[in-house]
Amino acid sequence: MLRLIAWRLAAFVPTMIAASMVLFLAVNVVPGSAAKAALGIDATAQAIARFEHQHGLDRPLHVQYLDWLGRVVKGDFGVSFQNHVPVGPEVLSRLPITLELAALAFLIANLIALPLGAIAAFYHQRKPDTIITFGSTVLGAIPNFWLATLLILVFTLTLRWLPSGGFTPLFEDPARNLLKMAMPAVSLGVVSSALLLRIMRTAMIEVLSSDYIRTAFAKGATRNVVLWRHALRNALIPFLTVGAVEFGFLFGGVVIIEDIFLLPGIGSLVLVGIINRDYPVLLSSTLVITFVVLTANMLVDIAASLIDPRQVHAKAAT
Amino acid sequence: MSAAAPSRHITWSRWRLLAIGGALVSLVLIAAAFAEFVAPFSPYDLDVASMLQGPSAAHWLGTDEIGRDVLSRAIFAARISVEVALVAVGVGLLGGTVIGIAAGYFGGLLDQALMRFMELLFSFPAILLAIILMASLGTNILNAMVAIGIIFIPGFSRLARAATNDVLRHQYIDAARTIGMTDARILWREVLPNVMTPLLVEATVAFAYAVLLESALSFLGLGAQPPEPSWGNMLNTGRGFMAQAPWLSIVPGMAMFIAVLGFNLLGDGLRDALDPHLRET
Repeated sequence: MLRLIAWRLAAFVPTMIAASMVLFLAVNVVPGSAAKAALGIDATAQAIARFEHQHGLDRPLHVQYLDWLGRVVKGDFGVSFQNHVPVGPEVLSRLPITLELAALAFLIANLIALPLGAIAAFYHQRKPDTIITFGSTVLGAIPNFWLATLLILVFTLTLRWLPSGGFTPLFEDPARNLLKMAMPAVSLGVVSSALLLRIMRTAMIEVLSSDYIRTAFAKGATRNVVLWRHALRNALIPFLTVGAVEFGFLFGGVVIIEDIFLLPGIGSLVLVGIINRDYPVLLSSTLVITFVVLTANMLVDIAASLIDPRQVHAKAAT
Repeated sequence: MSAAAPSRHITWSRWRLLAIGGALVSLVLIAAAFAEFVAPFSPYDLDVASMLQGPSAAHWLGTDEIGRDVLSRAIFAARISVEVALVAVGVGLLGGTVIGIAAGYFGGLLDQALMRFMELLFSFPAILLAIILMASLGTNILNAMVAIGIIFIPGFSRLARAATNDVLRHQYIDAARTIGMTDARILWREVLPNVMTPLLVEATVAFAYAVLLESALSFLGLGAQPPEPSWGNMLNTGRGFMAQAPWLSIVPGMAMFIAVLGFNLLGDGLRDALDPHLRET
């Protein structure tokens, strides 16, 4: 088990380096775009050359990348083109807000997907299954940013129950924090639950048709014991793996949701980076988001191995 | 336990989903193709005398903040969504098929390198990658098509590779090699036609996602630029008038929902109809 965890951690480093390379290339895919973007389309060639020299953008791309990566490893995320302040502290101060939002949304998604997916599987090809499956298809088709708008329309403008946006730190006023996080988390979580529900349903159908479940029933185990104790644990493995991917999608969604609800998280910083054409801000915020997503994937991989020790032996055999 | 229901019921329910999906998709495609004939007004015609008017006999879905007909703009926006989705899915399908088939057919180091890279791209949140590409390429609708297309390449490539590996197990490939067919000819004549079915089914589902991504980019101001109507930028504008004119937020969102639901149902229905293995689950 320890060897597997060590192997996963070792594989994480090259993956993260490759991801940083992709991000760096994506931002710099059009040569000179950073300077033009920062200075505007009317910038003279001289101004562009001066800007590029000032920020080291006139060096070969691989030199720029290695220099940037070297600094990032040391915790230096560079200086904003816009306001000339270090980007690192800004990114790190916003990260907890986004992590809280993503965690709450993921919790909501799971609270919907796990029981409903299991129930749909249990009633496979019967009315509850049809209703739940169709409901998940409908939920999955709702754009999260539209759901967010509708929630504001209903709960803020009509019922006046919830604030339309803003942020209160969790440790300052937990109740107010949750009140402000409720609509953003629901917008992200409800839509994300659709895919998770389908995965849970499929995994449970497979598990429920296996021999050991039949044996459990034959030995007189009750329906609830079989469903929640035996079947759920085994169905969790494929569910977890897809859940990690969905967590990544969900994390991508924070950009738009944070903008709607005026949450000062890392997603809204991505937008600031885009609007101001501030590439250090854009690159740092997207790198941190990628780091979180890849870390979640790795942790899920390890968690899946802990739940199902057969995976460890299978890995050892290969 | 889950008793097996009659298979006729399943078939009917699947066909029903396919029919609903087909009807919704047809609605969107007709709106996109014949917007000039279907829309009651031009999407650009201003009428300051009738700003922010609610649904009425003259303007079925109301007017926006400068008096433009919301229904007409929503209909014309379908065209942008379908155009972006078509090009983006085309880019993804072409890129993904070439990469996936090459990786599956030639195997070895090429396979390892290509698929590792695809896995890496796949692990990025899609909207994030699109935003980064848009920042670099510039914010306009053409670049949105390219950015969304690039995002689709990893998914299609994984599917194409798996389908190619499946095809390569068949004896007709060995037979083709035995009679001296070149790799290029085998790929074109034998592999490509046999991997297209799952790819085309996936393309339908990708279409839904492309509509969603285009709307999200336009919502953020990175896709279609005003006054060009897009469901995303209509919704974004509508947010500023939610209290006075809620229809400005409801109509474009509903249009997106119809398109995404339609393509999802159609994709699911096609997958079930064409792949008997998936039908049971």
